[in-house]
Amino acid sequence: MKNRRGLNILMNILLILYAVFALFPILWMVLISFKSDTEVFTTTFVFNPTLANYREVLLRSDYIRYIRDSVIVAGGAVLVSIIVGVPAAYALARYNFPRKEELAFQILSYKFAPEILVVLPLFMIYQKLGLYDSYVGLIWVYQLISLPLLIWVVRGYFEDISVEIEYAAQVDGYSWYQIFFKMLVPLIKPGLVSSALLAFIFAWNCFTFPLILSSNKVYPVTVAIMKYLGTDSAHYGQLAVASTVSALPAMIFALCIQKHLVRGLSFGAVKG
Amino acid sequence: MAGLTLNHLYKRYDNSGKKKKIKNDFAVKDLNLVCEQGEFIALLGPSGCGKTTTLRMIAGLEEITDGEIYIGERLVNNLHPKDRNIGLAFEDYAMYPPLNVYGNVAFNLRAKGVDKNEIDRRVREIAPLMQIDDLLDKMPVKLSGGQKQRVNIARAIIREPELMLMDEPLSHLDGKARQAMRTEIKRLINKIKCTTVYVTHDQLEAMSLADKIAIINFGVLQQFGTPAEVYDDPVNEFVASFIGEPPMNILETTIINKGGTFFFTFQNSNLQITVPKRYYSVVSDGFRCKMGVRPMDVLVGGADSEGTPEEIATFENLGDERRIGIHVGDVLLMLITEDEKRYRRGDIIKLEVRGEKTHLFDINTGDRIREKN
Amino acid sequence: MAKIQLENVKKAFGKVQALDGITLEVKDKEFFVLFGPAGAGKTTILNCIAGIMMPEEGVIKFDDQVMNLIDSAHRNVAMVFENYALYPQMTVYDNMASALRSKLYRKDESEIKERIQWAARIMKMENLLERLPSQLSNGQKQRVAMGRALVRTPNVFLMDEPLAHLDAKLRNAMRTELKEMQANLGSTCIYVTHDFMEAMALGDRIAIIKEGKIVQIGNGDEIYYMPCNEFTAQLMGDPEINIIDADISGSEDGYSAGFRVKGEKVTYALPKDAGVYTKIRELNLTRADIGIRPQHVKYSFEPKEGYFKATVYSYESIGNKSVIVVDCGDDANSQLRMIAPNGLSIAIDSDIYIHLEMEHAILFGSDTKEYIVRYDEANYIALAASQEEK
Repeated sequence: MKNRRGLNILMNILLILYAVFALFPILWMVLISFKSDTEVFTTTFVFNPTLANYREVLLRSDYIRYIRDSVIVAGGAVLVSIIVGVPAAYALARYNFPRKEELAFQILSYKFAPEILVVLPLFMIYQKLGLYDSYVGLIWVYQLISLPLLIWVVRGYFEDISVEIEYAAQVDGYSWYQIFFKMLVPLIKPGLVSSALLAFIFAWNCFTFPLILSSNKVYPVTVAIMKYLGTDSAHYGQLAVASTVSALPAMIFALCIQKHLVRGLSFGAVKG
Repeated sequence: MAGLTLNHLYKRYDNSGKKKKIKNDFAVKDLNLVCEQGEFIALLGPSGCGKTTTLRMIAGLEEITDGEIYIGERLVNNLHPKDRNIGLAFEDYAMYPPLNVYGNVAFNLRAKGVDKNEIDRRVREIAPLMQIDDLLDKMPVKLSGGQKQRVNIARAIIREPELMLMDEPLSHLDGKARQAMRTEIKRLINKIKCTTVYVTHDQLEAMSLADKIAIINFGVLQQFGTPAEVYDDPVNEFVASFIGEPPMNILETTIINKGGTFFFTFQNSNLQITVPKRYYSVVSDGFRCKMGVRPMDVLVGGADSEGTPEEIATFENLGDERRIGIHVGDVLLMLITEDEKRYRRGDIIKLEVRGEKTHLFDINTGDRIREKN
Repeated sequence: MAKIQLENVKKAFGKVQALDGITLEVKDKEFFVLFGPAGAGKTTILNCIAGIMMPEEGVIKFDDQVMNLIDSAHRNVAMVFENYALYPQMTVYDNMASALRSKLYRKDESEIKERIQWAARIMKMENLLERLPSQLSNGQKQRVAMGRALVRTPNVFLMDEPLAHLDAKLRNAMRTELKEMQANLGSTCIYVTHDFMEAMALGDRIAIIKEGKIVQIGNGDEIYYMPCNEFTAQLMGDPEINIIDADISGSEDGYSAGFRVKGEKVTYALPKDAGVYTKIRELNLTRADIGIRPQHVKYSFEPKEGYFKATVYSYESIGNKSVIVVDCGDDANSQLRMIAPNGLSIAIDSDIYIHLEMEHAILFGSDTKEYIVRYDEANYIALAASQEEK
């Protein structure tokens, strides 16, 4: 018993050390956001906290607009993924058609290629099609990020629901749409919610695509942050504010759904 | 010489880490068993009764909370599983998939560094015994459930263990394959005369295979005896209803005294059964207890029978035999008959109960009430 | 309630012909059992009747009305699935109410409640109504699945091995309960099983299915006493029937059957029976497979007149009685099974003397494996017919 206690304490110390190590960059970023430009490069923890950076970024720049753009683009991307992905996942789980597994793998493979690899050809195509610098264009290209994730997670959930449940509902007198929304959607909900939130976070954090494929009209926050690194001057304090605020939704989501995220991605629908 | 001795064996799981306290935190409680050399014993009980835990403790896969385990004369409490000289056959066939059957059977001996020719000799010797001689080159994935199980057992016995442990080895097989395999195991164990502990929840398997059965419930040994003993002379209501299919009829009864003769009477029923004389020393007028009688000891009386007329609630023609159910209060009293007569629901039959075959159980504890000598 | 007819129904899965011309008629209010080994196509028949699957050929009729093009929601059938198929997110109550809340079969909530309570009482699960399926044992799930079907008033109840996942004891107890319920049900029911005791106990009539075809249809007694071939005979009865390959010789004054036991020829006189003798004469039989059920094989430990010698292969209890398997030859196929009481002390591989009660024998063609005749045939036909009447 004594041994176990010692082990516990040791483990906790190690975990705390790791946490400090892992969280340090974030902590530093938050600290910088409260510093004036003159103090940015000091390496001590002693400084005069100021809200000037926050005032500058949130009130005097277009930062709110950037956030809005991010919300529209990431949210839109997830919405489209759900509308397209859930039926696709159902089809991949339930129907047998030639080359089914190849198709499923191809969808997954979208996630393999580095973004930078495809972004240049896409840039040319987008220019021609008039999708450059538009919400639709970004939402479309974000499907590369969110759709495979959603389809693969939700497909697993559909596969876990025995097909007899659908038969039973048919025999009970329900039409296919009623079965889908009344019986199946509640069962895939944990997987759908967790994969959709994760997809949202990935889309929110995406940098390469909006950097190349958009400019003035659509300005997601990841790209906008760069604005504070001017060619002549670098406002590290404002940069830190912009980063901190833009990281907040992802962090809040992650904290709220942490439990569900692990459960949703690792368990099936009818287990537990 | 004893093949296996369990001495005041306890197993308690540490629940301190869990939020929910389990009511009965002893998985095994004060278990004492002596199994003679070469004997085949079955540990029988419902799922979660502690029988598998016991087996795992004997194998050394589970720590012992308290008590002693002897294999032969050796105290094995602190021995590593590999040093206990036991053969294991578990319900999930954990075969090494990259090895063929021969490799799987030989694996243990190879690990021990036994001479190659010696291994070959022993594999060739055991293969025909287990009827796997023509499977030796096959890979595990190609085998059927019954074949896998035979390989599994061959792998266990090739080490010539002092003690064989089997945990529901037949539970993956269905119907006929299961029956056939049961016969094979029985013959095989009979041939190699190895002390064997066999865990099962299926009373039929225990009854047909074992020399002795240990019936366990909630971690406590209920009865240890030969199949005939546990069947004919159960120590309590649990054993009585667990052994036998259909199970023993157990009915709450009030005994009344009618002019010096005692009768079993039942609530909401006009059924009366004479209490056998041997119980007269323990019963009295108004005595409440439970009466147990096996379905084969309830008979349909002939035309001149003095049995109580009763209405048939269910009649099942099963081909080889027929089962009749009769409502006694809200309990269905089952009886089995092999005669060819067909009945229908609602027919009236005269019910006779072999009074001498009845058992009495305490109404609260379920313990057997025995006649005094 | 309805009469169900299938005419030449065929269904294939890829190259596998799952149903190969199934024709049968289930009478109104009949309890009809589809019985056969796993993979015979029983569940597929049920799925075709329910409209879950479309047969490629053939007609399915409810009360003479062709149902092929009607989807399963509109067929008004209630089905119990082998894996129960309870809706995991709903309580037992909501599971049972689901059909009565659908557009097609909608009822008032008050009536739904009434029916559910009625069904729950019959299935003895009043205390389970608020639980979720994940909180139920298999036996309880099975009750809920039955209850979900019972609350409806369908054309037909379809039950797919509802007891298969229960352990032997619970299964037998539930079977008895089902038998008791069946009388109150009073509706057409098609029941799939691979357990012959369930088939015998529950079925008004039984259809034996093998490889997508119907082998035999009849009531329990017909199928047990007059199986149409050896396959059926072996399915019905546990332990299974003994089948002995024998020569037939003699004349009408007395035929006899001869077969080899451990290399020696044993000859048995076939008792006189008008039906059997006529058939032997008409067909000019010289060989036949003789089927004898284990309860009609007698044994002795001492040599006896009319008993032949064999060795004990195994002796094991099957509950209230035991089975002795004896070895009559060199290969494993020449084993005989017989019933004996529990508690005998029989050593394996010891000698035993066997007698076959030929007066209970069933004769099958030695090439065709089809039923020819049995002893006392007229009596058994009468017995089976007496069951029809009810």
